[in-house]
Amino acid sequence: MEGSPAPLHSLRRDPEHRVLGGVCAGIAARLGVDPLIIRVAFVAAAVGGFGIPAYLIAWALIPAEGGRAPVAIFRTGRAAVEVALGVALLVLAALFAMRELGMWLSDAVVWPLVLIAAGGALLWRQSMGGPPEAVAEVARPVAAVPAPPRPAPEPAEPDRAGRSRTGIGIALVVAAGFAFLQATGALGAARDVLLAVIAVVVVLGVILAPWIVRLVRSLTEERAERIRSQERAEVAAHLHDSVLQTLAMVQRRADDPQEVAQLARRQERELRAWLSDRPVPGRAESLAAALEAAAAEVEERHGVPVEVVAVGDSPLDDAAEALVGASREAMTNAAKFGGGSSVDVYAESSNGRVQVFVRDRGPGFDPAALPPDRRGVRESIVGRMRRHGGRATITSAPGAGTEVELVLEGRER
Amino acid sequence: MRRPDPVALVAGLGIAALGALLLLDNEGTLHLRFGALAPITFAVVGAILLASGLSRR
Repeated sequence: MEGSPAPLHSLRRDPEHRVLGGVCAGIAARLGVDPLIIRVAFVAAAVGGFGIPAYLIAWALIPAEGGRAPVAIFRTGRAAVEVALGVALLVLAALFAMRELGMWLSDAVVWPLVLIAAGGALLWRQSMGGPPEAVAEVARPVAAVPAPPRPAPEPAEPDRAGRSRTGIGIALVVAAGFAFLQATGALGAARDVLLAVIAVVVVLGVILAPWIVRLVRSLTEERAERIRSQERAEVAAHLHDSVLQTLAMVQRRADDPQEVAQLARRQERELRAWLSDRPVPGRAESLAAALEAAAAEVEERHGVPVEVVAVGDSPLDDAAEALVGASREAMTNAAKFGGGSSVDVYAESSNGRVQVFVRDRGPGFDPAALPPDRRGVRESIVGRMRRHGGRATITSAPGAGTEVELVLEGRER
Repeated sequence: MRRPDPVALVAGLGIAALGALLLLDNEGTLHLRFGALAPITFAVVGAILLASGLSRR
């Protein structure tokens, strides 16, 4: 997407561009700077005495691209406190030892740096604690479907522990600044500058307060509207896939009252379960099983064979359920418009990535010529995947069949 | 065979090493000062805490 900022990736080591362990290349990729800058910074820090341990710690804690961290150190609860205290004491021990051995710059430099590192680590950890990033953009090849506007990812509501971590991190960094100024005797001059800055900020705050309040209110309303719009899209996609499909089936099978009654009962059960936010009875618990169930349902409804091949499996969380919903819609479209040809579904889950292909050998269509009121492809497939951080690519052309590729990345393994 | 408890192992080795150093200091073989003893103590306690935290599920 032109003009949009590059997405902020999670911090990962980059073994492909490594000189040693890929730490510098990974940090550079995260910050969007040349790896050489980070390498020079590490070499300078190594001369100062703490670059090598810092590199080793980073190597141990940061997972490689497509892999895990050598040491899974991020814990929760009491284990997290113990690990944090343990690491802090080991770092302190190393610093005291270096000081004792004379490998030391000066107290005025090292202790503020230690405080900054501790505060920065807390802030960084907090920034990494959000939901999985929306990793994907809907790929649009020559014959792809125009995608709906993408809602901006919602920031995670910070919990109390998260706020505390952020507060302590900021306090440590500010304390480091004060300690450095105090140690270098520059605190008096800094206090004068600080007072001047505070005076300017207060004056500007009084002048600009009405605009700032309006801006904050407007941003809050915009966020609420975006959430409402996403929820509307989810409801619309669900109704399209369930109630509208059933009503269409009812119309087609109006001459068979028993089957119509069965369809209505099944739809009622599903809708009641959805409205009361409880699982549908007999619901599958893994991705592969849910895909099989969706394929069986489409096969039963439309009388077209749907073959599923699943390699690997994945737990059925919200994103995976959305993937199953989009796959079901793709299968339904293939069964309805595929000219009676069988539908092939191939699903692969590995390394935190799930990929599903739905193919038919039907007459195909020109995705660019799809009417705007056709919500099935636009909302139930493309929009749904996008809302759950995935992507959908539809490749089709008249006479050449259709292939729908659905991808979710960055999942728990 | 029962697997050793990593926390007990680290704690045992750390405290034994610390005890050996203090013994050598007492015998006059080593002359430990606070500047040397403090990082060693910190390292032992830190290693025990780290082992304990990492071994929790």
